[in-house]
Amino acid sequence: MLEVHDLNVDFSGKIAVRNTGLTVRSGESFGLVGESGSGKSTILRTVMGLNGSWSGTIKVDGLDIRKTPRKQLARVVQMVFQDPYSSLHPRYVIGQQVAEPMRINGLPNPERRTAELLELVGLGGLKFQFRFPHELSGGQRQRVAIARALALSPKLLLLDEPTSALDVSIQAEILNLLNRLRKELGLTFVIVSHDLAVISYMCERLMVMRNAQPVETLTRDQLRAGEIANDYTRTLIAAA
Amino acid sequence: MSTTEIAADPRHAVRAARWAEFKLFARRFMRNPLGVAGLVIVLLLLFAAAFAPWLATHDPYLPNLTSRLAAPSAEYWFGADELGRDIYSRLIYGSRLTLLIVALVIVTSAPVGLIIGAVSGTVGGWVDAVFMRITDIFLAVPKLLLALAFVAALGPGIVNAALAITLTAWPPYARLARAEALVVRNSDYVNAARLAGASEFRIIVFHVIPMCLSSVIVRMTFDMAGIILTAAGLGFIGLGAQPPLPEWGAMISTGRKFIFDQWWIATIPGAAIFIVSLGFNLLGDALRDLLDPHLRQRK
Amino acid sequence: MSNLVEIENLHVAFRNDEGGYNDAVRGVSLTLGREKLGIVGESGSGKSLTGRSLLGVLPPYARVSVDRMSFDGIDLKAASPRLRRSLRGGRMGMILQDPKFSLNPVMTVGKQIVEAIRIGDRKVGHREARARAIAVLESVHIRDPESVFNLYPHELSGGMGQRVMIGMMVVREPDLLIADEPTSALDVTVRTQVLSILDELVARRGMGLIFISHDLNLVSKFCDRVIVMYAGRIVETIEASRLSEAQHPYTRGLLSCLPHINGSLEPLPVLNRQASWAEA
Repeated sequence: MLEVHDLNVDFSGKIAVRNTGLTVRSGESFGLVGESGSGKSTILRTVMGLNGSWSGTIKVDGLDIRKTPRKQLARVVQMVFQDPYSSLHPRYVIGQQVAEPMRINGLPNPERRTAELLELVGLGGLKFQFRFPHELSGGQRQRVAIARALALSPKLLLLDEPTSALDVSIQAEILNLLNRLRKELGLTFVIVSHDLAVISYMCERLMVMRNAQPVETLTRDQLRAGEIANDYTRTLIAAA
Repeated sequence: MSTTEIAADPRHAVRAARWAEFKLFARRFMRNPLGVAGLVIVLLLLFAAAFAPWLATHDPYLPNLTSRLAAPSAEYWFGADELGRDIYSRLIYGSRLTLLIVALVIVTSAPVGLIIGAVSGTVGGWVDAVFMRITDIFLAVPKLLLALAFVAALGPGIVNAALAITLTAWPPYARLARAEALVVRNSDYVNAARLAGASEFRIIVFHVIPMCLSSVIVRMTFDMAGIILTAAGLGFIGLGAQPPLPEWGAMISTGRKFIFDQWWIATIPGAAIFIVSLGFNLLGDALRDLLDPHLRQRK
Repeated sequence: MSNLVEIENLHVAFRNDEGGYNDAVRGVSLTLGREKLGIVGESGSGKSLTGRSLLGVLPPYARVSVDRMSFDGIDLKAASPRLRRSLRGGRMGMILQDPKFSLNPVMTVGKQIVEAIRIGDRKVGHREARARAIAVLESVHIRDPESVFNLYPHELSGGMGQRVMIGMMVVREPDLLIADEPTSALDVTVRTQVLSILDELVARRGMGLIFISHDLNLVSKFCDRVIVMYAGRIVETIEASRLSEAQHPYTRGLLSCLPHINGSLEPLPVLNRQASWAEA
């Protein structure tokens, strides 16, 4: 579903990602763990085309992202951002925001599908559709952002720290929602987090990153059984 | 309103939501007494302009030499000028000219500045460089001087005066809009629109410009006071509205000759300019408190 | 027994859009000895406001009322703004979540610490202040303090900035330190260091620490006593070591909704908020 080879990203001289490769199978949930500045979010943003200069190859569902028009890619892969307070436009009601991707891509019946999507993320009924983001709590906003990301029925969802701006009780609700959606819609996830517990709960495989480079790739079973080769990973587990 | 109605007409529901937002905004605005005072002044100006024929007691253009330079009285509330015209009536009709100039300048300068700034900030690169250098050039020209040169070239008159002011009024809007756009273009909600395949045009029109609007509106309100003053200044030196038009600046200019003996001729229009400018400033201040993203706290 | 801090029936309210007041803190009473007290709660629970009202740094539009608030025998309710300011500069300190907002961006780190020292004690000479500043940087585990001394805040990483911030606070040797989410912006490995610095300070200088956080696990590991706040009220106060025996359903809910590295993969239990929690 997602193949990244020899990825190098730098921001005007500062290397953000170095020689990184990863493969995510269809239907899998893959975690990227690391501390701030380790390059994990940069990988997601590069896959989504939000970073200008990078080298290497990235293929999403077999499509080379350099050669595929953005609108075509948009229907395969979408992203949910970290901060639900800044990822929704403050001047539009949430119904409009969820419908926006469908309007851009000329999909039929955006109103009805918007209602369905909001229902799917637990914001059903007409109560929420015509609210502005500032009237919603953080958790509700993140649900809206998830609904918007699902508007074009992508197969792959990239989640950049989807719960780190939320309270722990809300985090549980959002994680449960994401797991349910993955099962119901057959999605593939790539989740970025600094929290190993979240990754261990959500992902079958994970890659630990440090200083712009991958440290090691583990399965959940290896993580839980303590079959860890790298000292840095052990430090992370101990501190969690 | 029943829920089925909402379902039947989503556009209506969106409008209802916006109306509710506006009511909330209005309620917060009403808590600022100075802002309300400013709003009342501006509304009075609009009222005077709209109903000038009914409010005026005399013909503002008809000379009446028997009452030349008459002092304020029951007949002439604010006195009469050197041709015996009622100053009160001229003031009322003059509000139309003031509003005309303000409107002309605002509808030309604010959108131009907004679009240039939003495009410049969102697109970046050489577009930004070119647009901003042009803006810098206009900013570097002294305001009144450019207006003077412009009016001198095209001839005096209200429309030309408005055009001249516009030439120097748009660059601040462009600066303002660009600064907002620079922040907005990197925000996650704009990124989300990009990820959905939105074109740069769509992003500018639907995502960046709505976010620039509030600061532009605030700036606009403040600017109106400045425009009124500049227009009056041009009128005063004879390059704005031409006689016999009852433009306030021109009225002060004619009253200048009599200022020691018939003070009201210059003072009354001067006070009108002062009050109206103050009204726009108070209104602008109140709006800024409510709209400025830097002053507003994140909920 | 003399308590360092005593607060009785604290209320903090903010104006709402209807012109009335919404209570954000509703009747909080607490005492603090020379110990590590954790205040835990979700956003909007009033935990930060409680800490800020103790320092007297609430925004001017907040309406505060309290029956009694004292610090080391000083009645803060009756204290003049001047006295409170001098307390803030000397005997009380605060560490915020993001050091970027609390450090002066146009002054080098070292100068700021030197200034803090000299405000506290005007008799300290320049050279001595400098030596003490460097010693402080060392004590918060900054490698190469000589060169960090000359850096500007934006040149520091998040963890370093936070440690400098702590250094600036402790250089005045306060009796009370209020740390508002001091580690939430930090990576786990740095967090451990910062916590150990704070721990050391409490142990060595006998300082009182109020540790405000949303992270119940962290607080229970680090603090002596934990106060759990919900909707502006204290719902439970408990010894940190006995947190697993917590009675209140909110505390229990907070504990159980966290995923664990070796936890079950079943859906996480979610919190069923009850209106009665806010009343009690």
